[in-house]
Amino acid sequence: MSTIPFGTKRTRRWLPWASIAVPTIGWLVFGLFPSVSTVFFSFTEYSGFPGTPLHFCGLCNYHNAFNSSWTDFSTSVTVTLKYVAGVTILQITIGLGLALLLRHRRRGFGFYRALIFMPQVFSVTIVGVLFSLVFDPQNGPAEPMYHGLFGSTSAFLGDQTWALWLVIMINVWMFAGYTMLVYIAALRRIPPELYEAASLDGAGRFRTFRHITWPLLANATTVNVFLTAMGCVGEFALIRVLTDGHYGTKTLGMYMFDTAFGVNPSLGYGSMLAVAQFLITLVIGSVLLFFLRRREVTL
Amino acid sequence: MSLRLREMTRTGGLQLVCLVISVGFFALPLIYLALQAFKTNNEFLNDPTGLPHSWTMSNFSDAWTEGDFSSEMVNSLLYAIVPDVITLILGVFLAFPISRGWFKHSNALYGFFVFSGFLPAGLIPLFIEAQKIGTYNSRIGYLIMTSLTGAGFFFFVGYIKTIPREMDEAAALDGCGYIRYIFTMIIPQMKPALATFGIFGFVAGWNNLILPLVMLNDQSLWPVTRGLFSFFGQYSSQWPLVSAATIIVALPILAVFAILQRNLVEGVAGGAAAGSRGVNTAQPVENNE
Repeated sequence: MSTIPFGTKRTRRWLPWASIAVPTIGWLVFGLFPSVSTVFFSFTEYSGFPGTPLHFCGLCNYHNAFNSSWTDFSTSVTVTLKYVAGVTILQITIGLGLALLLRHRRRGFGFYRALIFMPQVFSVTIVGVLFSLVFDPQNGPAEPMYHGLFGSTSAFLGDQTWALWLVIMINVWMFAGYTMLVYIAALRRIPPELYEAASLDGAGRFRTFRHITWPLLANATTVNVFLTAMGCVGEFALIRVLTDGHYGTKTLGMYMFDTAFGVNPSLGYGSMLAVAQFLITLVIGSVLLFFLRRREVTL
Repeated sequence: MSLRLREMTRTGGLQLVCLVISVGFFALPLIYLALQAFKTNNEFLNDPTGLPHSWTMSNFSDAWTEGDFSSEMVNSLLYAIVPDVITLILGVFLAFPISRGWFKHSNALYGFFVFSGFLPAGLIPLFIEAQKIGTYNSRIGYLIMTSLTGAGFFFFVGYIKTIPREMDEAAALDGCGYIRYIFTMIIPQMKPALATFGIFGFVAGWNNLILPLVMLNDQSLWPVTRGLFSFFGQYSSQWPLVSAATIIVALPILAVFAILQRNLVEGVAGGAAAGSRGVNTAQPVENNE
């Protein structure tokens, strides 16, 4: 521990503490405390209406999840897993594809990259309204295209079979630019000599990618997969705008939001769902890190 | 010659592919939305996918007045700028002593801050808490909540380490006070990092939908994103009007993006490099004994 050079002998002891006091207290009150007390509230029955009592009930919410509310609960878990898997796989593939396409510094490429990154800065409200228009079953441009291709009609975001996949695609549309930029930054760090050596050895495009590019992108892949997957386990803002959790798009986060802030609020059960979401994040996160980092080591 | 021709068609083809993807998939939906805003409702219903014939502007003025976007814009600016500035300053005050190792357990404290980011979402308890301490449905309360959740200082810790300690000592010897030192030396030195995080913080603050949805009940307190959301619900059948409202809400952030896109894009690339180091090596903060 080094000593602080500022202040007098007397103030030196508490000066660093004073420096961190306000942000730490703020973080404790509005960050850590709510976060930890989610676990506490998950053991209670509490509607959240002012004046109603908070009733401690042990594992009742957890019990309900596996009994009376099992259908809703298991469905939302399945939807969440599909959502996470769908977004992660698509976003990594598309992000990598775009990065390979736009990796070099050529004329116009900065503009293309900026356009692809652009949706990121929009609020989910804007993106939600935008795609509600595109997929509007009566007047949207997707309808005639779909009709031309398949000869039938679809309700798109109001269609049980399509809604979740459309939401996944819209999520990817919004955030693929980020994945792309992370990959471009990693691609730029690959030494060009490796490619020269590979082309001298007569390796084709595919083999160069398979044996040089992809393994050397392992770090970036870890970051991208981890950030994407972790970022979308709890995601529901976009779903709230696009489908409000109907038509098979009720993820755990959406279910939590509905339960806590919907018509018949139950903050206790909602907190349990937040805890469940946390556990899923934890499991997916550790599994991903374990496999992805092992892959890096075996290079 | 034929080799050059082939080369030229190849780059031309590549340019075309890139243009089609970036414009076709990423810009076209927005352009399409913007076009609807210039149609009358009848024109839209008769020919939803065609170009506007009369290019009417009335949708914009109608949306502006009916959605009450002028006061919501002010709210949005407030909710985006105030927490952003406070978070950045507090973040520096938090990161500086931690990065210098002036605590007994500054490593542990740092690790604890990082770790807490992985805990369960605290939205529901925050809602209960806000009602108890009076930050619910209040402009000041909302600003306090968003200003003091203060994450995002983690990158500052590493950044401040690149500022030599000798500077601290020299300044202290010359009689420079602690607070003055942070404001006149550390913060100016950190301009690039602060700018990047400032931009992202501003965008995040401006775009937040869920927190205003939960915490702000009064329409007079809503930011534009929240306002647009309920406007959309209210006028969902009148696409030209909703499109105009969406363009109104999107324009400021689009302008910010157009001006700052270079910094944003570089910020992500730089952050990615830092992030990949963070996830992979997960090194504890060095502690100079």
